[in-house]
Amino acid sequence: MMQGSISNRIRTLRFMNGEMSQAELGQRIGLTRQTIAAIEAGKYSPSLEAAFRIAQVFNVPLGEVFQWDATAAPLKAS
Amino acid sequence: MSYREKIAWLSLIAMAVAYGPYFMFVARDPAPWEPLPHLHPLGLFALVSIVRMLILGAGYLYLRLGSPREERPPLDERDRAIEHRSISAAYYVLIAGMILVGCFMPFSSTGWTIVNAAIFWIVAAEVVHYGVVVASYRVQAS
Repeated sequence: MMQGSISNRIRTLRFMNGEMSQAELGQRIGLTRQTIAAIEAGKYSPSLEAAFRIAQVFNVPLGEVFQWDATAAPLKAS
Repeated sequence: MSYREKIAWLSLIAMAVAYGPYFMFVARDPAPWEPLPHLHPLGLFALVSIVRMLILGAGYLYLRLGSPREERPPLDERDRAIEHRSISAAYYVLIAGMILVGCFMPFSSTGWTIVNAAIFWIVAAEVVHYGVVVASYRVQAS
């Protein structure tokens, strides 16, 4: 199996944006609260479009939200 | 637990309650089931289907009334991905079952045995469909 996994800083960015809730973030980009929770926990990799939308909400480049770790074990569920 | 996962659980339970006893009955006592076009067994199947519909109807109503509108959002990309994955898995079960029923069973079985085998594989495909939905939501929630 290929190595590598995506990590993210959504929890931190939510905190830095007035403790934005998962539900509010989801509502702003058309995802459910459960999907935001799954993305945050690294259980689900969002589409490229959703990833860009998340970055847009926090007004940061995509690379500040999601990071690729080529040496990490792959995600079990996506 | 999300609203969609609850619906998937409901569908699994309705299937188990309705079709479980049906298949136990036909597997235990297949002899009285005369060859087609003997239509009496259709009554039993209709009864089972009505029981399933009633469970589903009551369950939907209960879940809908118990869940505020914000807990029932429209499908998002993760829901669609899960749905796509579950339907793909169910398709393979269904196609394998139909090959068995349509291409091999006519050489060894007749009448209601073939009909019930076809129903069994359709139900099995539905169980796989909802089973994969539940498993996917569980894995991504834990």
